[in-house]
Amino acid sequence: MGGPVLTEWFATPDLHKLAAYEKLGGYSALRKVVTSMTAQQVIDEVKISGLRGRGGADFPTAMKWSFVPKDHPGPKYIVVNADESEPGSAKDRYLMENSPHALVEGAAIASFAIGGHSAWIYIRGEYDLPYEMLREAIAEAHAKGYLGTHPFGTGHALDVRLYRGHGAYICGEETALLESLEGKRAQPRSRPPFPAVKGAWGQPTAVNNVETLSTVPWIIRNGGAEYAKRGTEKAKGTRMVTVSGDVKKPGNYEIVIGVTYRHIIEELAGGYLPGRKLKVFWPGGSSAKVLPASMIDTSTDLDGLKALGTMGGSGGIIVMDDSHCVVKGAARLLRFYAHESCGKCTPCRVGGNWAVRTYDRILANEGSQLELGVLERVADGLQNGRCLCGLGDAAGWVIESTMRHFHDEYEDHCLRHTCNVGAVAAHA
Amino acid sequence: MSALSPHLLEEIKALPANYPQPRSAVMPALDLAQEELGYLTPEAMSEVAVALQLDPGYVEGVATFYTLFHLQPVGKHRFYVCTNLSCTLRGAEEIVDHLRGAIGVREAGEVSGDGLFSYEEVECMGACEYAPMCRIDHRYHYDLTAAKIDQLVAERKSPSPARPTPLPPHPAGLRPATFPTSGEATPPVKKTRKKKGV
Repeated sequence: MGGPVLTEWFATPDLHKLAAYEKLGGYSALRKVVTSMTAQQVIDEVKISGLRGRGGADFPTAMKWSFVPKDHPGPKYIVVNADESEPGSAKDRYLMENSPHALVEGAAIASFAIGGHSAWIYIRGEYDLPYEMLREAIAEAHAKGYLGTHPFGTGHALDVRLYRGHGAYICGEETALLESLEGKRAQPRSRPPFPAVKGAWGQPTAVNNVETLSTVPWIIRNGGAEYAKRGTEKAKGTRMVTVSGDVKKPGNYEIVIGVTYRHIIEELAGGYLPGRKLKVFWPGGSSAKVLPASMIDTSTDLDGLKALGTMGGSGGIIVMDDSHCVVKGAARLLRFYAHESCGKCTPCRVGGNWAVRTYDRILANEGSQLELGVLERVADGLQNGRCLCGLGDAAGWVIESTMRHFHDEYEDHCLRHTCNVGAVAAHA
Repeated sequence: MSALSPHLLEEIKALPANYPQPRSAVMPALDLAQEELGYLTPEAMSEVAVALQLDPGYVEGVATFYTLFHLQPVGKHRFYVCTNLSCTLRGAEEIVDHLRGAIGVREAGEVSGDGLFSYEEVECMGACEYAPMCRIDHRYHYDLTAAKIDQLVAERKSPSPARPTPLPPHPAGLRPATFPTSGEATPPVKKTRKKKGV
């Protein structure tokens, strides 16, 4: 039921140019919004679509916009989270490189919907090419009069601006991102106040993901009801997934929410490398709790994944086959979380490093029953609201979920100083 | 004699006007300073602080937080090699081993004898479908092999200006390359079995 949404036009040459984008119907949504709709009508249309945030939190987009106070006298901002840095996730880069105008148009529509005039795209510093393409796209939109003081001849000024990050995973956390945008060390804020009340530069702000906003023009053009025909009963629409790791065809794919991981991994991504078998996969970025091979028929339904204790997250599916060791993989991810901890709250700052030191001992064949216990304690100490933001939880989930599903591998390493992957596990 | 050129300091002083609050100019300013000097010296950070009317300690605090700011000398060309999980599963560690030999350094952060190269192991750069990958001179390089590393190094060692410009003025032709192994231009959205009841 229904075709692609985000990638609908991706086969078109020069889609990153305004001329090609507009020929297909690009900017007709923004035109419609500013010339014939009210802010509330835009929010209502997106509400009908059922669109939820694609950065990982699944929060309903229309509801997020409606939280921004309508009667606020000063500026209000849309901030676009283009700081994609979740291990395994590359879909925002893919969207921006293929269709930068879709994001620019979506960000402008979102600004209108919250009664604001500027959207700021916070893009990670390593994304040189997407940055250049967005800069050109914004310039083109200004030259055409689609952005600026009088977009499409109307009086509701709209602008989209760019801000480059400089390398910090934590900036993907929305309040850390806002701190960074304000020129500070990117450390998450305590909430409340929430960004909708006090966000960028102290003003009401809605922070949206690249994919979320890139979907919005399509919803305005085709109607929220049309979008809602796709997906499951509660998790509507399509989404991007990035498949990486041990598959034949790693890549970015648009899926209808509700297809199974087997469909994505074995059909879209071409299945496993010759002679190998699936061992484990991360269903939604490295921060999503792992699922073992036996759960390959799990649906991508967002609520179903939550019920399993994991999440669709940012759509990054990391596939690991039987030539790799789960303990080594988890150790690698813990090094990442420890390195990227901003240091503001103690459980995350200390817990991550405890885990790294413990994994180091285990992989040096110095593990024992003690290390198994330490990892369990550390995993617990990182979770359940003990940390200021989700980074600590995610680190805990990696330990907890790999230990739960692959306790035998942990026991091999800690108690018998062996690895069942043996010589095949040259890396990871 | 200042560390930063007078022209650059003027440029930095003009930055705050671009933002709702002037403090947001600190990272773009550090970026300009690093672009000019290669890395951020204490003098450069102090000058940025004075130009933006900020405390030097504050500016240094920002600079030390972010991976892309360098407070030590670096090679003229810096390899940022992803060694996060997706890249490691596809051989990133072997790529790093090879790179060390190719540029003649023992560890991350060390500058090669000719001053041309240094490397860092970095966290996920968001191109997992092309693992293993690296970034050098503001460009991503995908599906790395030892031979590709050798080529990237050789291109930068040779005195001829054959090296590609940091960014293509026209990014057309990019799209087909986004599916390196499948050869498809567009991922088809397939209609398949949904969760029961839908």
